[in-house]
Amino acid sequence: MQVMLTINGEAKRLSITPGDLLLDVLRRECYFGVKRGCETGECGACTVLVNGKPVNSCLMFAAQAEGTEILTIEGVAPDGNLDPLQTAFLDHGAVQCGYCTPGMILSAKALLAERPDPTDAEVREALAGNFCRCTGYLKPVEAVLAAAQAYRQAGSRGVSTKSGRSRGQARKKR
Amino acid sequence: MFDHIECFYRPGTLREALALLQKTGRRGAIVAGATDVVTRADRSPRYFIDVTHLDLDYVRKNGRGCTIGAATTMMALEKSSIIRGFAGGILAKAAATCGSIQNRNMATVGGNLANASPAADSAVVLLALDAHLVVANSRRKHRIPLAEFYVGPHKTVLKSELIVEIVIPALPGGRSGWSFQKLGRTETDISLVNAAVGLQADAHGRIKWSRIAMGAVGPMPVRARAAEKLLAGNALSEDLLAQAGEAVMNAVSPISDGRASAEYRREMSAVLARRALRECAAQAGIPIGN
Ligand SMILES: Cc1cc2nc3c(=O)[nH]c(=O)nc-3n(C[C@H](O)[C@H](O)[C@H](O)COP(=O)(O)OP(=O)(O)OC[C@H]3O[C@@H](n4cnc5c(N)ncnc54)[C@H](O)[C@@H]3O)c2cc1C
Ligand code: FES
Ligand code: FES
Repeated sequence: MQVMLTINGEAKRLSITPGDLLLDVLRRECYFGVKRGCETGECGACTVLVNGKPVNSCLMFAAQAEGTEILTIEGVAPDGNLDPLQTAFLDHGAVQCGYCTPGMILSAKALLAERPDPTDAEVREALAGNFCRCTGYLKPVEAVLAAAQAYRQAGSRGVSTKSGRSRGQARKKR
Repeated sequence: MFDHIECFYRPGTLREALALLQKTGRRGAIVAGATDVVTRADRSPRYFIDVTHLDLDYVRKNGRGCTIGAATTMMALEKSSIIRGFAGGILAKAAATCGSIQNRNMATVGGNLANASPAADSAVVLLALDAHLVVANSRRKHRIPLAEFYVGPHKTVLKSELIVEIVIPALPGGRSGWSFQKLGRTETDISLVNAAVGLQADAHGRIKWSRIAMGAVGPMPVRARAAEKLLAGNALSEDLLAQAGEAVMNAVSPISDGRASAEYRREMSAVLARRALRECAAQAGIPIGN
């Protein structure tokens, strides 16, 4: 069967089998920033944003993504200019092996789009579904709080959960 | 993992979904948020029927009660101002513990009930709230009290049927208190024990009635009816709390598994019930004597 969806601002038509999981389809399409971890919804390494909301792609059927807009880490800085979240993760040493980082950044992006000035507790809740075996969480939390400040200082536009590529020409399907 | 699936249906109306359910029979399976369907990996279905496009995501106030569409997500429940303001917000509190944000963005209340895990957090709350399910097949729609919905772990009375909505009847007026308690290793863990409790005060500050539902301590969530009876009509005291805890322990039948022993679960069911009763009593203005 076929699904039509938008990935990182690009309209796509993909051939899938009815039982395909979104994680497998995205990796097959070379979005390797979508990591395969536990495959049971525990670790959050496979997090993507579906219509702006963090979701574990290992627990979603690709067929359910019909008509949705998906953001993977590849769509966060398509032109190579890092997002303030990415910069903050680097500056704060919040990345070690990096396996959890795409999921963490996407979860944080969804949080900041809704809450530009989150509390420490809100950041921890937003990252609760993203396991990190390296950093001990303190640095990612600091990085998200710093990125929130950087976004606010940069001003008006707010945090978008769309890809840099499609920003401003958001289209809605379905 | 699901390479044997022949078709993934995405019906746009309830009528279409029910026709598909009838047509596919035992080889068809309903999918909502898929968080249990994928992790349980049951290989028997050949067809999936997605119920998330049937306009079943809603929360409606219904006099002093409320009605919830089966495909409403846990995230929508925890954000709903109606649910947050209903019965002390215990359903919103329970929904907010159903795994990570990623999980709650997909997980639905209908899926939580139909999956029939003994630990389902919305189930124990809805049992305390005396909820009914509106269930449909291609021929008829009918109501089933949640208390009669489960027949065992991961088993319900549904036969090629779909939960359409959940109806919570009007709450009695007067001063009441409600509490949801969950024991897990982390805030969003699957419950080792959970409890939903309600209490109402009479004009003299005594307990008019109580409702005590316990989960993850038996094949399905249960009401501790003997404990409820024990409390009704009485002034609350430490002694009565202890007796109620004993009665709750007698009402449950936990098992030992990799996550906790039966003894621990039994012991903790009394602890959680007492904790919940104290919280309810404080809200309802019921003093606790010695
Ligand atoms: C990491 C993780 C953590 C979790 N934590 C918790 C937790 O803390 N507490 C908790 O209670 N649960 C938890 N769960 C379990 C799960 O997320 C919930 O049970 C969820 O609500 C299931 O809903 P769903 O929409 O994903 O159901 P699905 O997986 O789509 O369906 C589950 C079952 O219900 C049936 N079904 C779905 N909708 C209907 C309907 N309308 N009518 C009839 N049948 C239907 C399906 O056929 C299937 O058998 C967790 C799951 C994971 C993976
Ligand atoms: S791989 Fe999806 S949550 Fe771990
Ligand atoms: S940096 Fe290695 S898992 Fe998080």
